[in-house]
Amino acid sequence: MRKYNLNIAGYNIGFESSTNGPELIPSERFLRNIVADSRSDILIRIHSGVPDLPEQAKRVFHAPYVEEINDIQINHKIDFWSIWKHHSDLYIKTIFPLKSTDKKGILKFSLTKREWDLWVDGTDEKIDPLEYPLDGLILYYLTVIYGDIMIHASGVNNAGHGYLFSGISGKGKTTMAKLWEDFRAKVIHDDRLILRTTGNSYKMFNTPVYANDKPCESPLNKIFIIEHGLTNKLVPVRGAEAVSLVMANCIQHNWNSDILARLLGSVSIMCSSIPTVRLSFKPNRNIIDHILENE
Amino acid sequence: MTGLKSILSRSQSVVTRKTGNEYVLVPITNNIADMNSVYTLNETGAFIWELIDGKRNVEEIITELTTDYDIDIKSAEEDVFLFIENMSKYLIIN
Repeated sequence: MRKYNLNIAGYNIGFESSTNGPELIPSERFLRNIVADSRSDILIRIHSGVPDLPEQAKRVFHAPYVEEINDIQINHKIDFWSIWKHHSDLYIKTIFPLKSTDKKGILKFSLTKREWDLWVDGTDEKIDPLEYPLDGLILYYLTVIYGDIMIHASGVNNAGHGYLFSGISGKGKTTMAKLWEDFRAKVIHDDRLILRTTGNSYKMFNTPVYANDKPCESPLNKIFIIEHGLTNKLVPVRGAEAVSLVMANCIQHNWNSDILARLLGSVSIMCSSIPTVRLSFKPNRNIIDHILENE
Repeated sequence: MTGLKSILSRSQSVVTRKTGNEYVLVPITNNIADMNSVYTLNETGAFIWELIDGKRNVEEIITELTTDYDIDIKSAEEDVFLFIENMSKYLIIN
C-alpha cells in the first residue's frame, strides 16, 4: 500500500509513503483499525533511509531496552529509543528490537504540527510504520496533544459498566481481565488503555497490541488501583491520593513541565468525577462478587 | 546546612497541582527508568510548600505555622525541618 488510515482510540492516523518511499504494510494487529475516512488527525509521511539528526538537537528523554519475560525484567545494554528536541521540532530515534536491532527509524514530529515525517532503514522492504516501539510512542504523543491519558491498565465492561484495573507489571491486570472474561464481561484490553473524555463522561479504548485485538471501547465508571492480597479489600480514595495513585500508573515522558502539567491536570479532573478505589484481591471469582456487591 | 535564617525556594524540577488542601508533586526527569515517582503533600505539607517562596526564611515559616495551626514552636520547628529534609531534592537553599 502507498497510503492508508487507521482509527485507533478515536484518533484518525494517516500514513502515506513519499514518492521514493517504501511500500507500507500494516501488521496484522492493525488490520481491523483500517478505515476509509482519510480526514487524518495526524498525517505521517514515510521515507526510506535514516538522515542524521540536526547537529544542535538535544536529547531530552531516553529509554533503555528492557525485555519482560514471565514478569522478570531483563535490561539489555543497547540504545533503544530517545526523544530529541531542536527548536519546536521533536525527534524520536529508535531501533526495532522485535525486527532487528540494526534497523533504525527517526520520526520528526511536533506537538503543534499535524504532518509528521518518518524515516526507516531498508529501501526495498515493506514497512509497518507502527512497528514496535513506534506504535506506543506515536499514540502516547497523540494523547499529549489531545490532553488524554494513556495508562497501564486492564479494562472490562460488565452490563454497561466500565471498570479499569491499574497497576504496574505483576499487580494482576491480566489476571483480573481473565476473571471478568470468565464471567462473560467484555474485556477492552488486559494491559494498556487510552482514556478520553467526551464532556461529562470518560471512555476507555484499547490499542492494538496482540494480533487478534479488535477495536474496543467502553464508558469508564470506576477506577481500581490493584494489588494481590490475602483478602479481598476495597478502600475508596479521593483527592491527592487518588490522583497520585493514578498518575503513578500513567505512561508519561516527564522531560517537559508543560506536558507533565497537562497530564496531571487531566488525571486530576478525571479523578474528581470517576470514583477511585484501592483494591487488594485474591485471584478467584469471589472478587467479582465483592466488587459487584459494593456497587 | 539549612538554618532558621535560610531562605528557600521551590525547584523547577517538579510539577505540582493542588487538589483540595493537598498537593500532588511529579518530578521532571530525562530517563524513563526514573518515571512514575509521584508524591503527595498533606495539608500541613501543602501549607509549608506554599510558604516556600524565595522570600520568607525558615523562622518566618515556622512562625506562620504556629499561628495558623495553633501548635507550639517546637512542634512547628520539627515539622518544617522534617519537611525540608524530605523535600530537599525539590528545594533550593538561597
